Amino acid sequence: MLTIDAKNVDFYYSEFHALKNINLEVEKNKVVALIGPSGCGKSTFLRLLNRMNDLIDGTRMTGSVLIEGKDIYAPGIRVDELRKEVGMVFQKPNPFPKSIFENVAYGLRVNGISDKNFIEERVVQSIKSAALWDEVKDKLNKSAFALSGGQQQRLCIARTLAISPKVVLMDEPASALDPISTAKIEELIYELKKDYTIMIVTHNMQQASRVSDKTAYFYLGEMIEYDDTIKIFTNPKELSTQNYITGRFG
Amino acid sequence: MQVKRFFEKLIEGFLLISGSITSITILLIVIFLFKEASGLFTTPVVEEGYVLAFNKENPIKHLNAYQIKQIFDSEISNWNEVGGKDMPIEVVRLSDLTNYYTEEELGAEFEHIPAKASELTAKTPGIVLFLPKQYVAKKFDGILLDHETIRPGDFFGGKEWYPTSTPSAQFGLLPLILGTFWVSLGAILLALPFGLAVAVYLAEIASMRVRNVLKPLIELLAGIPSVVYGFFGLVVIVPFLQQTFGLPVGETALAGSIILAIMALPTIITVAEDSMRTVPRAMKEASLALGATHWQTIYKVIVPYAKSGIMSAAVLGIGRAIGETMAVLMVTGNAAVIPHTLLEPVRTIPATIAAELGEAPVGSGHYQALFALGAILFLITMIISISVELISKKKYAK
Amino acid sequence: MQSKRISQAIAFTLFKLMSYAVIVILVLILGFIISRGIGVINWEFLTAAPEEGMTKGGIFPAIVGTFYLIIGSSLFSFPIGIMSGIYMNEYATDNKLASFIRIMTNNLSGVPSVVFGLFGMALFVNTLGFGDSILAGSLTLGLLSLPLVIRTTEESLKAIDNSFREGSLALGATKLQTIQKVVLPMAFPNIITGLILSIGRVSGETAPILFTVAAYFLPKLPNSIFDQVMALPYHLYVISTSGTDIESSRAMAYGTAFVLISIILIINILASVLRNYFAKKVKMN
Ligand SMILES: Nc1ncnc2c1ncn2[C@@H]1O[C@H](COP(=O)(O)OP(=O)(O)O)[C@@H](O)[C@H]1O
Ligand SMILES: [Mg+2]
Repeated sequence: MLTIDAKNVDFYYSEFHALKNINLEVEKNKVVALIGPSGCGKSTFLRLLNRMNDLIDGTRMTGSVLIEGKDIYAPGIRVDELRKEVGMVFQKPNPFPKSIFENVAYGLRVNGISDKNFIEERVVQSIKSAALWDEVKDKLNKSAFALSGGQQQRLCIARTLAISPKVVLMDEPASALDPISTAKIEELIYELKKDYTIMIVTHNMQQASRVSDKTAYFYLGEMIEYDDTIKIFTNPKELSTQNYITGRFG
Repeated sequence: MQVKRFFEKLIEGFLLISGSITSITILLIVIFLFKEASGLFTTPVVEEGYVLAFNKENPIKHLNAYQIKQIFDSEISNWNEVGGKDMPIEVVRLSDLTNYYTEEELGAEFEHIPAKASELTAKTPGIVLFLPKQYVAKKFDGILLDHETIRPGDFFGGKEWYPTSTPSAQFGLLPLILGTFWVSLGAILLALPFGLAVAVYLAEIASMRVRNVLKPLIELLAGIPSVVYGFFGLVVIVPFLQQTFGLPVGETALAGSIILAIMALPTIITVAEDSMRTVPRAMKEASLALGATHWQTIYKVIVPYAKSGIMSAAVLGIGRAIGETMAVLMVTGNAAVIPHTLLEPVRTIPATIAAELGEAPVGSGHYQALFALGAILFLITMIISISVELISKKKYAK
Repeated sequence: MQSKRISQAIAFTLFKLMSYAVIVILVLILGFIISRGIGVINWEFLTAAPEEGMTKGGIFPAIVGTFYLIIGSSLFSFPIGIMSGIYMNEYATDNKLASFIRIMTNNLSGVPSVVFGLFGMALFVNTLGFGDSILAGSLTLGLLSLPLVIRTTEESLKAIDNSFREGSLALGATKLQTIQKVVLPMAFPNIITGLILSIGRVSGETAPILFTVAAYFLPKLPNSIFDQVMALPYHLYVISTSGTDIESSRAMAYGTAFVLISIILIINILASVLRNYFAKKVKMN
């Protein structure tokens, strides 16, 4: 069964037609990179997968998105439960003004888990998975704001992992970070792939080629090409894709 | 070119002067309020133009305002209750002199009063004589209490406010400050839950359309004059309370609290809502993306993040309630007694000033006492303003 | 996982109900005053002086008095407040002095109106010897509305993007010219709306005029700024609490309250009309 299966997706911000007939399939435990020039609809597409766009007034979608075979836009679907399955890491690190521990425990608590030991175990394990443990193990009760940007972003990843999602969406997770932090995040993505299906938006071609199995190229709201990353970067079918990855525009 | 530059400097000077006017005003308020207020403590404790006289043997040298009042109200009848000898107190007013002397003895023109008053004081060990200064004999045979002034303790610790009682006016702050406290507390307890509920509703739950109707309405209500609220309270709330609780009068602390709560609502709603709107979108999205419901996001992320703004809203609401004058004056009944329940009439500090300043002769003790009330009110609101300043400066605590 | 949904449903319903309760109360107050007061309004009520112990006649002297007080206080607070706002935003942006002044202005806006009344009486009526007069009342009200005028001006100026200032300075204009020719005209719409709203505040204040200008009953109109006047809010207070015959002056009281609310309504509508008008004008340009 496909983990993500978007069929004939069209999306509108009021009048503006932001996504045009997108069809995209993702298998389990794959990393898919979304690339394309600014404003082409990458974030919009990503946010469709956990229904984050529901928050914006006046938006409209047609087509369907299946996550593990379930239509997430079907009536009766609970968005909060969906979002537990489909985690998201944002472009700018956005920890809560709480302690490091509480940041990671947040998702567990809001999902009704109150068993202390379980929470603690899970928090530690998630922070470890996010490759942050050594740096924060002595200050779990300190404010998350005291961490560096890169650490904050890994904390946000840990926070997402704690609720054991099946899919992790990442919207340019390293764009606000320095090169060293970026490298750490990339390494982490590579690790996470074993357990999660990941979709990542990036502006960085090297990054896309390093971390992803497949790459989708978006342009002006359309998905121009979607293929194995190696193919996209070495031998794209479309001229537009080639122009973009060789840096002729974008 | 030179002229132009001079002109620019000149204008800048004007602007600076205008800019400093609020500071100057505050300074002047402080000076005038505190100058008049401090006059209170140099005001004689005994009514202007009168003295109290005791027998020479009486060891009492001082009486405070409240003791004098109790003595003349016969609530104290023995000198040992005010620290003297065990001896009954004999209160004598000018008019009582006829009980001791015939009219002939006092003289047709009362020309013998000074001598007789002196004589009576000398021969009555337990006497306290309340006498106009003009009738004090040159060589008065007794002790005169004429230098005693109102002490800070009389004001700050005084339990009674009877500014026109004789021989000693009572300027006790306690009933007024408690009245203010109870009315404001009631108001804020009513206004806060509703105000915050509306703020959350407007900031997070209501649709754009609903919001666009409610916001201007609430702003409009913030502008309605307090006399109009007071009038509404008087013709609607006061009779309603009187009937509902079967009270002798409907003008009560509770009526004041209700009206003040209504008046404080727009302030609380606006400030709290604005602060919740400043919560970054990213915070909200992060919470929702972790599977939190909207409500969980509100109380676990948005409200804590907007905490300082919400606290400012509460404090500003309290400030509004404490300083409000007319509406309270109209609905609380204005009895200057220490209240025991919210269903009794009370009198607040601002209402006292508004009600009495017109009758207090300029420069009198009463006038100065009202300025002292103003000074206290001013101090309270300064403290409130400064705490709002501090609260809003403080970033989210770890 | 049903429980968190249930608690959301309960909380939201509760908030909605509480909000509607508040709105209903507020609308009731307005509706009550308007419905009782509107029948009282007629030509005589608006143009005649009170008669027969203020149980009959009209409220003309109070309308005129309030009008004078609005004019008087505005003459004082508008120029000074606007200049102060300009100083705060354009000249003293972030030094210590500015933040001190800002704190003082905030503090002043938190001072209760009755304290302004005390202060006005001590300074203008007694010390400066103006007596109970339009002058003393206007100055007191002017001081009271000053923080509002300053803040309005400051915020309107703050909303003007710095690029406009830089553009003008880069063309060799002086700072003052830039403020005069570029910044103020752009901020003008917002400033005007703010000033109009501050008039609303002034027209309804009672405590500050109680001891500085307001007359209990004075059917004749003032001849100079040293005369006392009647004023609408004080008049409402008087006839609803201490008239000779409170019951029979009730109608007059409803009418007066209606007039006061109408002033506020008109001012708010005027402000929002102006705001929309200016917004459209900007769009068209
Ligand atoms: N909230 C919004 N309202 C209206 N238009 C939007 C909104 N968010 C994004 N858009 C528009 O949709 C298009 C796609 O945006 P986005 O998905 O953010 O692009 P990308 O992430 O690829 O840079 C852009 O043209 C953008 O202007
Ligand atoms: Mg994007």
